[in-house]
Amino acid sequence: MTSSDSNPLQLGSTVPNFELSVYDPVKNDFGTISLDEIKSQGKWTILFFYPADFTFV
Amino acid sequence: MGAVLITVSTDTQFVHLAWRRHEKSLENVQYLMGADPSGKVSRLFGVYVEDAGLALRGTFLINPEGRLLNSEVSFFNMGRNIDELMRKFKANLYLAKKPAEACPAQWKDEGDKTLTPGPKMVGKVHEALAK
Repeated sequence: MTSSDSNPLQLGSTVPNFELSVYDPVKNDFGTISLDEIKSQGKWTILFFYPADFTFV
Repeated sequence: MGAVLITVSTDTQFVHLAWRRHEKSLENVQYLMGADPSGKVSRLFGVYVEDAGLALRGTFLINPEGRLLNSEVSFFNMGRNIDELMRKFKANLYLAKKPAEACPAQWKDEGDKTLTPGPKMVGKVHEALAK
């Protein structure tokens, strides 16, 4: 597997589609979300990565 | 506000459910909690730390056309400022509507002074901001 740093996303470039399994607290259910889906709704995407649940900060 | 906020960690969606139910300070959370246990999406954005199997504290702003317009990455032990995230989002929203303008350093919210870069402004930014 190639290093994760070999193709970092550059600012200004187009993000390829990705999909994530999600927990939706409003529906209280699991589901999936994809970038394509959000784009088709004409919305912005804000991705907020963090290390782990049940931790601090 | 026209955006979908997704938090992402390498925990599974089951852990997200448990955390959301258990932690009082998450009571009012309504955003989607994304699961990236394989690290695939974290690697795509360059925030996956292989040795730890965890994602760094990265925030990425993508416009409706799929273009990455802002990124901020911090190490594990420093939290991000949500006001700053809102400021960046509002600035990008505004600039998407006004592509000929620029938000200067002091810009905080819609209604604040912007700049319209051009030959006349070269060397005269101070005057432009003072007007």
